[in-house]
Amino acid sequence: MTRILLYAIFTASLLMGLILIAIGMAESVPNAAGLPHPSIAGTQIGGDGLARLATIGGLGFAFHALLLFLIVTLSALGVHEKYQDSRFILIMLGILIFNLVVCWAMWSGHRAFLETGTTGYFMGFPTPTAWQVYGTWLGAIPLIVLYCWGFRRYIYTAEDEIAFEQLLEDVKDKQ
Amino acid sequence: MEAFRQEIIIGAVFVYMVFCVVTGLWAMRRTHNSSDFFIAGRGLGPIVVSLALFSSTLSGFGFVGGPGLVYSIGVSSFWMIVISSSGYALGFFLVAKRIRMIADLRNCLSLPDIVAARYNSEIVRFLFALTIVLGVMGYLATQILAMAVVMQAILSGTEMFAGIGLVTCVIVSSAVLIFYCVTGGIIASVYTDVVQGFIMMLAGILILITAANVFDGGMTEASAIILADDAETIMPFGAAGIMASLGWFFVFGLGLAGQPHLVTKMMMNKNISDNRSILPMSLIGYVMAALLWVSIGVVMRAAVIDGVIPPLDLPDDAASVFLSVFANPILAGIVFAGLFAAIMSTSDAFLNIGTAAIIHDMPKAIRGHGVKNELMWARIVTVLLAVIAASFALYSHFRDATLVAILGAFGWATFAASIFPVLAIGLNWKGATVAGAVSAIVAALVINFFVQIAGVSLPYGISGGLVAFVTSMVLFIGVSLVTRKPDIGDDIARMMEI
Repeated sequence: MTRILLYAIFTASLLMGLILIAIGMAESVPNAAGLPHPSIAGTQIGGDGLARLATIGGLGFAFHALLLFLIVTLSALGVHEKYQDSRFILIMLGILIFNLVVCWAMWSGHRAFLETGTTGYFMGFPTPTAWQVYGTWLGAIPLIVLYCWGFRRYIYTAEDEIAFEQLLEDVKDKQ
Repeated sequence: MEAFRQEIIIGAVFVYMVFCVVTGLWAMRRTHNSSDFFIAGRGLGPIVVSLALFSSTLSGFGFVGGPGLVYSIGVSSFWMIVISSSGYALGFFLVAKRIRMIADLRNCLSLPDIVAARYNSEIVRFLFALTIVLGVMGYLATQILAMAVVMQAILSGTEMFAGIGLVTCVIVSSAVLIFYCVTGGIIASVYTDVVQGFIMMLAGILILITAANVFDGGMTEASAIILADDAETIMPFGAAGIMASLGWFFVFGLGLAGQPHLVTKMMMNKNISDNRSILPMSLIGYVMAALLWVSIGVVMRAAVIDGVIPPLDLPDDAASVFLSVFANPILAGIVFAGLFAAIMSTSDAFLNIGTAAIIHDMPKAIRGHGVKNELMWARIVTVLLAVIAASFALYSHFRDATLVAILGAFGWATFAASIFPVLAIGLNWKGATVAGAVSAIVAALVINFFVQIAGVSLPYGISGGLVAFVTSMVLFIGVSLVTRKPDIGDDIARMMEI
């Protein structure tokens, strides 16, 4: 399983590199990285959001999705393969899907706003931004819950603790 | 009370600095050897480690530069904060357990010690130590400069210190920092971090409450004002755009597990099982403190657009202007003390790891053994490092900002790109090789240096740090897959089976 994860992480990283190259070669948009605010010095504006999405929107979404994939697979790499049972794999898949749904809600909400010019608000921010602020942050909370509640099952079991104490003893004896 | 605003702020900062000095003296009595000086003898409890971890994560940048970035480019910079949950999760899944185990097995004092043990390689140790020293110089110089600028701004508001110079402020603030770091080493550092962490959390919550009351409609009204002015600024990718935002997500999210001043703290807890409580406590603390970053930035931009206040001279003035216009003097005092706490908690962590790299790791990598009487040399080098960084900061301020800018590039992104794959993946994959590690570190350093020195501007806001990080990930795994597995020690091999 570790080897599969490694290949998955490698492939995702490679694809992200290729996406960066593709974006670097894409047709440029004047406000891609912002423009100076017309009347407030020291601040920037984003300008035409649809123009920014038109050229690299798809590549940006793919990069975002791969990044979420990378976070979940890297977290799985931190769990020894002897504990990567089917239940663990299902949990990690669930976490990945949850994150992709949040990501999609943010991107589609942003596009919908750009097309209609209207948005709702949730806890102080326009809805797409609320997905970004609260959704992205909450997206990794299941990983943290898994780490804390599953600590003795997936991270450092009672057998692991005994094995490590034995290892320390053996090293001391050798010295 | 308003008439005594400056006095209250100065009083709060003074009390905080006295506390740091007293903690240094107290910790000196508990520092008996270099293990105590660098890693607190691996005997810290979960609350101390949690607070030290998150307060070191949020430097002065979070209190000054963060709100300034939101004011300047809107939601783009939120990505540096919302990834905190992913960043901490990765740090604990990949690093926390194994780094603590290797530290115990090989009696490691520093991060280069850990990778030298993992890869059985002095080259990897040397490259790690070099990266740390370069990064520490840039980070320390900017932190010391920020501390002095804020101190000058506070003191120059009073009649007594109206004409105080920046050099004096650098000397005073550095002296406090040096004193508690030299006397108490990492023990003083982490215990001041505890108080620093509490101040930062309190400041974050109080600022959020204050910011929410600036407009009758709260944060929603502030967002609506920004939306009406330029919608993209308050939309998910902000003014800086898609790739700048996602680049920050990548570099700050994954990169957290590659920050030497943070992961070194994962070596200091007493029990490995404490990690299950350290993770959530660190994250909660970070989020509470980071509320300041978001709320000040949004409200200040909306207030300027709405004509409530005139435009700021500099985006980095956002926090200080907010405090002087909207905050109660006592709150302003707490936040300014919090600001010093944020700067000092990061600075002391960098001083500590920089010193370890110089007196412990570089001699070991070059000569095969460390210096004699490490504790004495640790104290001497701590002073020297801080003095050099302070001089460097002053030189850059008055003469030439280029040098600090170049070394500043050796900040978060370079640490992330060069350290994350080698440490975080390498600790969990036996197949990782020395060649993979060396190629990843060298590529990260070269790309970051080249982009900075050549002034390369990449399209769509793609940062050099992002390119370096993706490249180092690909190289590390790719080269490791095609090169011969290293001969690692039996104890390390057994540890990696746990």
